[in-house]
Amino acid sequence: MLTYVLKRIGQTILTAFLAVATVFVLLRMAPGDPAANYAPPNPSSEQLEAIRQQFGLDQTIPVQFWTFLQHLFQGDVGTSFFFKRPALEVVLERLPYTITLAVAAIILTSIVAIPLGVWMARRNNTGPELGANIGTIAGQSMPDFWIGFVLLILFAVNLRWFEPSGYDSPASIILPTVTIAILQIALISRLVRREMVVNLASPYLTVARSRGVSERALTWRYAFANAALPVVTALGTRFAAMLNGVVIVEVVFNWPGVGELVVNALKQRDFPLIQATVLVTVMLALFVQLLVDLLYPLMDPRVRLGEASS
Amino acid sequence: MSVLEVKDLQVELMTTDAVVRAVDGVSFHIDEGETVTIIGESGSGKSTTAMALLRLLPDDLAVISGEARIAGQDVTGDRKVINQLRGRVVALIPQDPMTALNPIRTIGRQMTEAVRIKYPKLGRSEAKQRALSLMEQVHIRNPAKQFDAYPHQLSGGMLQRVLIAMAVSTDADLIVADEPTSALDVTVQAGILDLLLELQEQTGIALLLITHDLGVARLMSDRIHVMKSGVFVESGPVTDVVDHPQHPYTQKLLGAIPELGPWHDPALTEPSQPGPYAVGDVPDSGSVAPQTGSTEASGSAASGAKLVKEASHG
Repeated sequence: MLTYVLKRIGQTILTAFLAVATVFVLLRMAPGDPAANYAPPNPSSEQLEAIRQQFGLDQTIPVQFWTFLQHLFQGDVGTSFFFKRPALEVVLERLPYTITLAVAAIILTSIVAIPLGVWMARRNNTGPELGANIGTIAGQSMPDFWIGFVLLILFAVNLRWFEPSGYDSPASIILPTVTIAILQIALISRLVRREMVVNLASPYLTVARSRGVSERALTWRYAFANAALPVVTALGTRFAAMLNGVVIVEVVFNWPGVGELVVNALKQRDFPLIQATVLVTVMLALFVQLLVDLLYPLMDPRVRLGEASS
Repeated sequence: MSVLEVKDLQVELMTTDAVVRAVDGVSFHIDEGETVTIIGESGSGKSTTAMALLRLLPDDLAVISGEARIAGQDVTGDRKVINQLRGRVVALIPQDPMTALNPIRTIGRQMTEAVRIKYPKLGRSEAKQRALSLMEQVHIRNPAKQFDAYPHQLSGGMLQRVLIAMAVSTDADLIVADEPTSALDVTVQAGILDLLLELQEQTGIALLLITHDLGVARLMSDRIHVMKSGVFVESGPVTDVVDHPQHPYTQKLLGAIPELGPWHDPALTEPSQPGPYAVGDVPDSGSVAPQTGSTEASGSAASGAKLVKEASHG
């Protein structure tokens, strides 16, 4: 078990390193000169060259990368061109907002999608279930930026229930959370429904029913307890993806998270900040994925105890 | 009074393209302490009969009519009746023990749950004590260890013993054993059958046995009903049916028991008809393939049953 965890942590570090290396090289190969963004209007070529030297961009890419690595091993991820502060510090300031949003979205998703999916499985092939099914297909098909704008226009502009953007009060989190959760609810509820239909039709459930186990216990203690295994995995994967994938929603709602930060950093060609963001979010997502994988044996004795029969 | 009294039971199965009358008006009864066997080949409707009595067929797939009284109460109507009887008055021993238990809960938790459905007043530790003594009663070695095991850690034979213990734990009046040994290794089968006989001797429980195996039927039953295409073609005390079969189908079933001795390939001596047939085909009464009774796995109810009418779609 310990070797498994160590191996996974090693994989996590390696993956994060490869992700940062890729971003590092791609940024520098892309057209556009960061120096131009940070120079006074109509700069002379000497001024630009001075800025490049200051940022270390006058070196070749391999040399720059080697310097980056040396600093990385000393715990220095670089200094943001724009903020003139350590990039890691800037990212970690924004991270709690993104984590809060992701946690809120995954909680909302769970408390809606699980009962909805179970209900759909129990009412399989009935009129109301068909309606809900069509609803989940619609939820799956709507782009999140569009949902975001619709919610904004409806609840913030027309009804004036919420402030249209930014983070002013705890209520500000509601619209972005709902925007993210709609797609996730559609996906997860359909997964729950599918898993529940299979488990509700399985032999062990019929045999338990023959023992007089109540329908309520059959649904939750039997079918759902088994259906939950892939659902928890999916929720964990979605959560990990949200940690670096809520960029669009953060921009739409002007939410001060890392997604919004990285978009601005890209516009400003703030290389160290982009690298720091990728490093942190990738490591965080992989860490969440690791936690989910470690949860699996706790939930399924067949994984925990091996398949061998005594 | 009979523990089970069935009158003119009919079960119609809704398949995607037809309505199949899988059980077509069977009547029988089981008295206290009696074992009654329904024997037949795959698709004869024997398992469907058992599942219909326990109301384990989904309402949208199976329509039940007629009368079936368990301990005097008709279970063919409102589901509330059977809900009160399951796990208290009637219990099931399933066909395949390997898939019959919740894979992620321990044997012990599922056993104590079964015990407490019949005896809700028992505390956790009392229910555990009862479960452990039941496990001993069905000859499970080291019950305390198996109590905390998960289903996948036990062999098929052990799991069937657990399931029998669960059925017995309810002190039911009637146990329905649906092919209780079909999924098991031949060497394990005898042990399970011995156990059922032993428990019946101790408890005097009535047993409805579903099997395709004449050897099992002969060993276990008091009376026997030979089922084919949804109807009983022959009924009577086990010795009469086995020793003096009247119906040609029963004679064929008996003829299907392999005998030790020199091998004569029946295909060389008499023209044989192909065994499998599609849903809706009505095989005529002489169509039992020679080895049907001894080797074929049973279970599916629809194949070979009578085609009632084509369902209309669209």
